Amino acid sequence: MKSDQLLFKNRRPGETTFLKGYLETGGYEGLKKAFTMDPAQVREIVKASRLRGRGGAGFPTGMKWSFFPADKPGEKYLVCNADEMEPGTYKDRELLLADPHQLVEGMIISAYALQAPTGYIFIRYAYERCARNLERAIIEAREAGFLGKNIRGSGFSCELFVHRSAGRYICGEETALLNALEGRRANPRSKPPFPAVRGLFDKPTTVNNVETLASIQHIITGGAAWFKDLAATVEGAGTKLYGLSGHLEKTECHELPIGVPLRTLVEEFGGGVWKGRRFKACLPGGASTPYLTAEHLDVSMDFEPLEKVGSRLGTAGVTVFDDTTCMVEATLNLNRFFARESCGWCTPCRDGLPFVNWILEKIERGDGVMEDIDMLRDQLRNITGTTFCALAQGAVGPIESLLRLFEEEVVDHIKRGRCPFNP
Amino acid sequence: MPTLTIDNKTVTVPEGANVLEAAKRLDIVIPHFCYHEALGSVGACRLCAMKFLEGPAKGIQMACMVEAKDGMVVSTQDEGAVDLRKHVIEWLMMNHPHDCPVCDEGGECQLQDMTVAGGHGIRRYGGLKRTYNNQFLGPFVYHEMNRCIQCYRCVRTYQDYCGGTDFGVLGCNQRIYFGRFRDGPLESVFSGNIVDACPTGVFTDKTFRFHSRYWDLEEASSVCPHCSLGCATIPGARYRELQRVRGGVNKETNGFFICDRGRFGYGYANHPDRPRIPRIGDREVSWDDSLEEARGRLADIAHRHGPAAIALLGSPRASLEANYRLLTLAHHLETDRIAFEAHPERDRTARVVAALSDKNSRSLEEIRNSDFLLLVGADPLNEAPMMALAVRQAVRRGAGAALIDPRPVGLPFHAVHLPLAAGRLSEFLQAVCAGTFENFSRQERTILEGIAERLRRAQRPILIGGGDLLGAAGVRDLLRTSEKLSKEDRPCGAALILGGPNSYGAALLSGETSDFNGILDGISEGRIRALVCLESDPFTDHPDLSRSRSALAKLDLLIALDCVPTTTAEKANIFLPVKAPAESAGVYVNNEGRMLAFASVFDPGTPIRVTGGGDHPPRVFEPGTPRNPPMSAWSVLGALQNRRESLNSLRREMEGEHARLAGLASLDPETDGRRVLPGGGRFEIPEIPAIPTEEKAFDLISIQSLFGSETLSAFSPVLDPVRPVPRFLMHSADAAEIGLAAGETLRVTTDRGGFELPVALSEVMARGCLFIAHLKGSPVDLPFPGVRFAARVDRRKES
Repeated sequence: MKSDQLLFKNRRPGETTFLKGYLETGGYEGLKKAFTMDPAQVREIVKASRLRGRGGAGFPTGMKWSFFPADKPGEKYLVCNADEMEPGTYKDRELLLADPHQLVEGMIISAYALQAPTGYIFIRYAYERCARNLERAIIEAREAGFLGKNIRGSGFSCELFVHRSAGRYICGEETALLNALEGRRANPRSKPPFPAVRGLFDKPTTVNNVETLASIQHIITGGAAWFKDLAATVEGAGTKLYGLSGHLEKTECHELPIGVPLRTLVEEFGGGVWKGRRFKACLPGGASTPYLTAEHLDVSMDFEPLEKVGSRLGTAGVTVFDDTTCMVEATLNLNRFFARESCGWCTPCRDGLPFVNWILEKIERGDGVMEDIDMLRDQLRNITGTTFCALAQGAVGPIESLLRLFEEEVVDHIKRGRCPFNP
Repeated sequence: MPTLTIDNKTVTVPEGANVLEAAKRLDIVIPHFCYHEALGSVGACRLCAMKFLEGPAKGIQMACMVEAKDGMVVSTQDEGAVDLRKHVIEWLMMNHPHDCPVCDEGGECQLQDMTVAGGHGIRRYGGLKRTYNNQFLGPFVYHEMNRCIQCYRCVRTYQDYCGGTDFGVLGCNQRIYFGRFRDGPLESVFSGNIVDACPTGVFTDKTFRFHSRYWDLEEASSVCPHCSLGCATIPGARYRELQRVRGGVNKETNGFFICDRGRFGYGYANHPDRPRIPRIGDREVSWDDSLEEARGRLADIAHRHGPAAIALLGSPRASLEANYRLLTLAHHLETDRIAFEAHPERDRTARVVAALSDKNSRSLEEIRNSDFLLLVGADPLNEAPMMALAVRQAVRRGAGAALIDPRPVGLPFHAVHLPLAAGRLSEFLQAVCAGTFENFSRQERTILEGIAERLRRAQRPILIGGGDLLGAAGVRDLLRTSEKLSKEDRPCGAALILGGPNSYGAALLSGETSDFNGILDGISEGRIRALVCLESDPFTDHPDLSRSRSALAKLDLLIALDCVPTTTAEKANIFLPVKAPAESAGVYVNNEGRMLAFASVFDPGTPIRVTGGGDHPPRVFEPGTPRNPPMSAWSVLGALQNRRESLNSLRREMEGEHARLAGLASLDPETDGRRVLPGGGRFEIPEIPAIPTEEKAFDLISIQSLFGSETLSAFSPVLDPVRPVPRFLMHSADAAEIGLAAGETLRVTTDRGGFELPVALSEVMARGCLFIAHLKGSPVDLPFPGVRFAARVDRRKES
C-alpha cells in the first residue's frame, strides 16, 4: 500500500531535514498562503478539513479552535503538547527527529489563525535531540523571516519557545501541562474553565499535539477537501502516523491514510507477528486503549470504527502481543505504569490503581481466588468516570478489556494456582 | 439565586454556591475531606459524590465541584454514589494505620467518622501499607505521615491561605508527602492551623499530645485574650488544667483560623507559680478574710485621707464586666481616680478609637473583602497576626496593599513598602487627606502618589493602623483621613490594632477620667495612698518604669487582682486571685468595637497534675476543687461593694448604664458578636510633650514581638523556644557610619538609662531609627511598646 507522504515526506534514515531541505520540498508555502487569508478563513479551512486531534482524545481541532477567543485582544497562548510519554507511542519523536520545521510551520500558521503571538512547545525531557532540532529550526525560521516581529509584512508577530518537561506522564494532560509550564506541580486543573477561557497564566490558551499542528500547513496548502480525501474511511480525514511496536517482525513508524485496516498494519507494514507466532492481541492506540484480538484485525484504524469495537484510536501506537504472552502479566505491567504515573491528586486514581495492581499481582502470582474477579470489576466500576482527569480512565481500558476478552485466561490463572505462561 | 432539589428537599442558594454547600443548608450531611469552607473546593478526595438526575450536570459528580443551578435534581442516596463513597473510604484506608487507640486525633477524626459512616468495615486489600519517615516540625506540631489521606488541606492551609513557604507537598502517586524539604521548625506563625485543618492524625498539637481524649475535654466557645482582634477559640480543659486551644469559627473576625500565639500561648492558666489563694502580705488566707481585710483597709484610708486617696487601675486584659465593676467600685468608694490602662499613650489611643471610630470601623471579614489596603505604622504579624492573614485573603482575591512603616515589616502577602520615619506617619496621613505630597522627596512622592491613586480608585478601601506606632494623634489622623476619603457611595474604612483584647471596652468605660500618669503623680505627691489593680501590672507595663516604680513604692496599700504571677501581684499587700479568661465567662470589645462573649470552659483550681503529685493517670480526684479557688474578677469586685449578683443581672445593669452597650445582656458566645453603638465622635487629645530632639540622636522605638510582648503568653512555657532574643534593629547605612557590623554590640544611652545589646541590620527600614522588640520578663528592662525616645548610640569599645 502506497500513500501520500505529508509529515514524513522529508524523512530519511538517520538524517534530520532542516530549513534548506524543507524549503526544497515546498516548505513554508502553507505559511505564505495562510498569510494571504484572514485568520478566520484559516480557522474555517481547518474546521472544514475535519481534522481530529492526534494526541489521543481525537477532539475535532476546528471545534477546539472555535472555542478560542481569537478575535479578542489580550494575551493568548498556543501550546504544543510534545510530552509524548504514552507507552507504545513514538510518532512525535519520529516526526521531530526527521523534520522539525513541520511543527514550526504548523505552529506559526496556527498562532496566526488563533491570533496567539506566543507559542510554547512543551517537550518530554527524554526527547533532547528533538528539542535541539526544534531550537535550531526556530532559529532558522526566525532568520528566514518566518518568525519574529511582523512576519513577512503581515503585521503578525510570533515567537516560539521550547520548554523541556521535568518528566511525568501526567504532564501530557493539557491542564497539568499548563501547571507544569507555569512552574507548578503537574496536577490537572478542574474544567471548566477550559484552557480556551483560562489557560496558561490564566490567559486563553489552546493546547494541540505535535502531529495535529504539523498537519495544519498541509491542510492550508492542499485545501480541506483534499485533506479529507486522503483518508481511507469516509468519516476520516488526512493521514496518520502509525507507530508499530511489540511482537512484530518490523517495528517502525509509518504515515498512512487514516483508517487503514489493522491487518494491513500488522501483516504488511509490521511484517507479521514475529518468530512465526500467532497474533493474540494488540493495543491499537497506546497503553490506555482497550485490547483488540485477532477477530478485530479487519477493523479500520480510525476513531469511529475502533470505538465501535470497544477500543479507541488513541495515539495510533499499535503494540502487538503474540500468543505466548500472558495477558494478565501484560496488563499488570501496564497498570504498574499508570499507578506509578498518577499525580496523586484524587483518590480513585492514586489509591484505586494500586489496589487494582495488588489484585492483578495476586492473580498473576497464582494466589487469586474467584472472588478477585468480582472485586476487580467492582474496583474498575468505581474508578471509571469518578476521577479528576482522564488518566485513570485510560488505565482502566486494558484491564476492562482483559476481563471482557480474556476472562478465561484470568480464570485459568486462578484455577491452576499459577500463571499458565510462566510455569 | 438558583433553586435545586436535593433528596426531594428544595433549597435556594446564592449564585456561585456549590451543591455541597446547598446540601449543607438543608442539613444534609455530605461526607467530605478536601472541601473546607475557608479553603474552597478542589475535588481531590472524591468523597462528596452525588448522583445528578436532572439539570446541566448528569450522573455521578462531586458535589463540591458542581455549581448549584436552577432545576437541578440531586440524590445523595443513589446506589452508585453510596457505593463510590464506600470505595473512596476503602482506598483511603488501604494505607492508613490501625493505630486509633494511640492516635491523638481519636474521637475527633473525620476519617474515623467517615469510615464508620461509609460502611467500610471489612478490609479487602491485603498488600503492604506504604510507610513514611516523619519530620521534626518544631515545638508545636507533631508529624505522623503514615496517617495521611492526601486531602491536601494542610498545604492549602499553610501555603495558600497562610502564605507559608517552608512546607508543601512532595512526591507523586501513592507516595505523596506533606512536609518540609528537611526537618526543622515550621516558620509560619500560623503553623498550628494545619492541626485543625488535618482531618486525621497527621498533624497533631504537640503540646497536647497524650494529654486527653477529645471526649474527656471540657470545651466551650471562647475569645482569644492575646491581642485586640478577638479571634474565636475553643479551649479544651481537663483535670483543672487548660490543655489546648483550637481555632473557633467567627465569620466576622478570624474566620476559621488563629495564630500560634493564640493557640499555644495558653500555658499561663496552668503556670506552676500562678497565685491561686488569697493573700494578705505573705500570708495565705481565706476569701472571707481577704475581702474583709480589703474592705477594712480601703475604708480606713478613705476615713483618714479622704476617698480621693484611693485610686483604681483597670485593664484591657480584663473583661468588660470586671472593668465595669471596678468603675462602680470607684463610685462605691466615692473616688474618681480611675484609669483603665497602665500605659497612658495606649490609653489615649484606645479612647480615640472608641470615641471616633464609627461607621468606618471595619471587621476582619470586611478586610478580607476589601480591594485596597493601606497599612500605616502597623506590623500585623507581631501585633495582631490574623489581621495580616485577613489582608492576605484580600490580596489573593486581587486587592492591592501598601505599607508605610519605618520597620522592616515582614508580611504574608505582597505590598508596596515605604519605610517612612515614625515621626512622619501623621504627616503622611495629613498629606493623603490634602492630596499633595510636597514635603516628600521625589522618590517618596512617586510611591505615595501611586498609593493615593489606588486609594482613590478602590471601591472598598481600608486604612489599617497600628496603635503603638501611630499613637493617639496618629490614630486620630488616620480616622480623619478615612472619613475624608469616604464618599456617599464609596466609604473608606479603618481598622486599628490596639493594645489588648478589651482595649476598646476599657476605653469605652473611661469617659472623661484622667490617665494613669495623673494617678502616679498623685501617689508621688502623697495625695493617693491606695491603689487597686485589676489584672494590670503597672510595675512592668508603664512606659517609664523608674517613674512608676518609685511612685508605687510610696503606696500605703496595693491591692491586686490577677491570674498570673506579675510583679504587681507579688508586691501587693492584698492579693485576690481571679479566674483566667478560659475559666470565666465575660465579654471583650475588640479593636473593631465588636462585643464578643466568651463562655466559661472549666472551673479553676490547682490542677490534679499538681495535687496528685504527678501520678498518671491521676489517682486522687476529689469532687470539689481544693482550698479557695480563684473567683471571677467581677464577682470579687462586686463582693468589695457588698453585691451578690449573677453575670446576667450585671450585664443588664451595664446595658442600662451604658447606651453604647445595647444588646450586651443577650450576647451569645456562639454568635459572631455585636458591634457597640457609635460613640459621641468627640475626643480631645491632651497636649503630648514632644520628644526632645537632639542633633545626631536616634529615634529609639520599642516595638512588639509576637512571642515576647504580651503578658499572658509570656507566662506560657511552651512558647519559650520561639521567644526572640533582645537586640537592636538598625539601618545598615546608619551602622556603617559608626563602623558597626551585624551582631556587634551597640551601646545606647537615653535619658532613661542605657542599654548594651547586639545589633541586627536591615536595608528596608527608615534611616535614623532604632528598634528594640519588647520582651516581657527579659533580664534587660526593655521599654514597653508604644514609646519613643531620643537615643545616642555608639559602638561598644572592646576592653
